[in-house]
Order: sequence, then structure tokens, then C-alpha cells
Amino acid sequence: MTQGAEQEIAQKGYVHPEMLVSTQWVAQHVDDPNVRIVESDEDVLLYEIGHIPNAVKIDWVEDLNDPLIRDYLDPEHFARLMSEKGIYPDTTVVFYGDKNNWWACYALWVFGLFGHENAKIMDGGRLKWEAEGRPTTQEVPSFSRTDYPVPTRDDSKIRAFREDVMEHLEKRGPLVDVRSPGEYSGELLHMPDYPQEGALRGGHIPGAANVPWARAVRGDGTFKSADELKAIYEGEAGLNERDEVIAYCRIGERSSHTWFVLKYLLGYGNVRNYDGSWTEWGNAVRAPIER
Amino acid sequence: MSRQRQIAVLVEHYQNPRRWGVTEGADVVMLGGSPECGGSIVIYLVGGKEGRIRDLSFTGQGDIISQAATSLILERVMDDGLTMSEVLDLDYEAFVDRVGREAVGSRTRNATMGLSTLKSAIRQYQRETLGRLHHRACAQRRVIDTLESSSRTDLLGYGS
Repeated sequence: MTQGAEQEIAQKGYVHPEMLVSTQWVAQHVDDPNVRIVESDEDVLLYEIGHIPNAVKIDWVEDLNDPLIRDYLDPEHFARLMSEKGIYPDTTVVFYGDKNNWWACYALWVFGLFGHENAKIMDGGRLKWEAEGRPTTQEVPSFSRTDYPVPTRDDSKIRAFREDVMEHLEKRGPLVDVRSPGEYSGELLHMPDYPQEGALRGGHIPGAANVPWARAVRGDGTFKSADELKAIYEGEAGLNERDEVIAYCRIGERSSHTWFVLKYLLGYGNVRNYDGSWTEWGNAVRAPIER
Repeated sequence: MSRQRQIAVLVEHYQNPRRWGVTEGADVVMLGGSPECGGSIVIYLVGGKEGRIRDLSFTGQGDIISQAATSLILERVMDDGLTMSEVLDLDYEAFVDRVGREAVGSRTRNATMGLSTLKSAIRQYQRETLGRLHHRACAQRRVIDTLESSSRTDLLGYGS
């Protein structure tokens, strides 16, 4: 059965099919000491009302962000987090979550900054696990602390800063804006009632193609096939696997999903996530904007 | 209240939201939050006499905290019969304490989405009510002016 499900992923034609595992594979590895299943959701209480047995929770706000400055946790805190969650440097970490694995991809991207490459996404996420009637529990597992050496954080390969985007613009490099059409056009500046999370200017970075992130998934939460994804990102948006691509959204969360799609499912060699995204660009003095 | 109890209350409200649904003919329909991030709600407000609230309801979609906290605040406002000004005076931090700070964690904005949207609805209602009152007062003034003008005309003997 498991083999069949993995074959199904393999048949979708991805460049790195090993970055995905099926719900069946996860069901058969919930007790595997070499595998740590991690739930990462937008809805922070979902884990509490029921999660995959033996899954731990990593909250993108409280666990992955620096509490003071706008950045991710430092290497010391990452090592401590890994130790607390029972993760060794060689543990296979399988992420899953709500919203079509949006936050799962974000967590995987942050793990990538610290070089924890042995990480995968459960295709279909929480939606598929529940739809298949698989068991959930409210029991929070307890794992012995591990000895996780403090890693070196390298942002350069998969993270883009504003200066990088400026340089990218000068080179006329391709960008993909994964926000909704309303945000892309400048019609929406911020979430209603939360102007502090918005921007002073609306629109998009000049030349960016608009591909809302959720176009990469099917109704059951699984990723579309490579051919379907190519039709969207290459056929419609004009991207190319040989290009250097920068993806962005509002704060870099939705674009980490697209980053995962481009980097692993379509095999783009050089794709970065601009996590400063519109909350930085739309507030920056003299940053060029197109509508 | 323990964190587990706070979560249990939120989940119960999420699964059985109070004052859920569309109120046809509401005086104000106010959108809050964002379907793209966290969640969104729509609050339906019907105003009453002397700054009271006659009816409140909401619809929405999103995370447990935003939807449950909206259910909690609407239930409280109607059960306690709070006036519009009393709702506007409600403190966000105190409301987060009431919802359960340990369960809410850093998602305080989600927890106050319902309250902030309700306040926006009330402010819009007040603006529109004041506008209507002003409009009505102007119309009455015009009628009075016309009548007074007619009376003066009558006194001058040009009337019918």
C-alpha cells in the first residue's frame, strides 16, 4: 500500500519526489525513531484538538521567529528547539499542516536556513489525513532531549533581502508575486482592521508575475503534477528552471509554499524567498512599484 | 482557568458558534479580518433605541481563535445587554484575558478581530445615524422655514 502511494507521488513527475511523502507513509512511520512528524499550522489551536499520533507542534510565530527583531530564531535557539522536539541532525523531519501545507512549507524553509536538509512534506497535509479518516490524538508526545549541535545559519542560498531584490530588478530577473490579485493590483493595502500589518503603498514589484500560491494544489490538498505546475509557472508566468527566481508575498509565508514548488517539485536551481515581502517593499521609501 | 480549559471553551464556541448567521436588513454589515490570513468575519448589527443594540450576528471562516472569540464577544454583548458606548469602551487586553491569554498566546489580533470589527460596525452605525438625524433636522428646518415664510406672507395679506 505504502509503495503504491509513493509511486503515485513518483508518477507526478517531480524533479525531487523524495521531498514528499504520502499520508500512508506517515501512518506507517508514526513510531519510527528516525522520523519526527511535525505539525505546523496557521490555526494555532488545531494541534490541540487533534493531531497525528506522535506528532510534535512547531508554531511559526512563537517557535521560529525572533521575539524582538524581524528575523528568524538564532542558531542557539534553533538547536534548543530541535533538542526539545527530540530531533537529531539526521532525523527525517516530516512537516504537515493546515491551509494546504502553507505553514509546513514555511517551517521547512526556515529549517533550510539552518541546513537541516533532511526534511519532507506530507502531500495533502492535514486536510488529506482527516479526509481519509486516519487517527488523531490530543496526546502530546514526550521525547528525550537530543544533543543537537548549534548549526551555522546560511541565509544566502534560499533567502532574499531587499537589496537582493533591487539587484535582481536591475538584472531584470524574474519575480513571482504569490498574493491574491487584489493585493497584486494594489487594490488591497492590508488586512481590514490591521493597518499595522499593511503597507503605505499598494501594487507589486515591477515585472513580477502574479501566481496566487494556492494554484499549486488540488482540491484534496495534494500538489498538482509537474506538468500542471509547469503549465502555470512556465506557460502562464513565463518562468524558467534556469532562471534565478525570487518569490514574495506579504510576509514571506505564502511565498515559501511557492518556493517549495519551484525548488523541489520543478527543480529550479536558484530560487529564493523574499520574506520581507510587501510589508517591507510597500513601506520602503523610493522602492519602485508597478500597478 | 487552565490553558486546557480555555482551549476547550474556544473549541466549543468554534464548533457551536453563538449568534451565527446572516441578519437580513441589518443596519450595518461590517467585514473584518482577511480570508487570506487568519480568518475573516462579517458582523451584522441592528441598532436599537437610545444607543442600544437590538440584534447582532456574524458569519465567517478562519482559525479557531478568531471565530470562537467573535462568538464569545457577541454572546456577551447581547446577554449582558451592553450599549454601543459600553462596547466601544471595552478594553482589548481585558478581552484577551477573558478569552484566555494562555490559549491565545501571541495571536491576540485574531482574538480581538470580532471585537474590533464590532466596534467598527458601531462607529459606522453612529456615523450613519448622526447623518440621518442631521439630514432629518435639516429637512425639518426647511419645513419650518417654509411655514414661517408662508405665515409672514399671510400676515402681509398675500395669502389665499
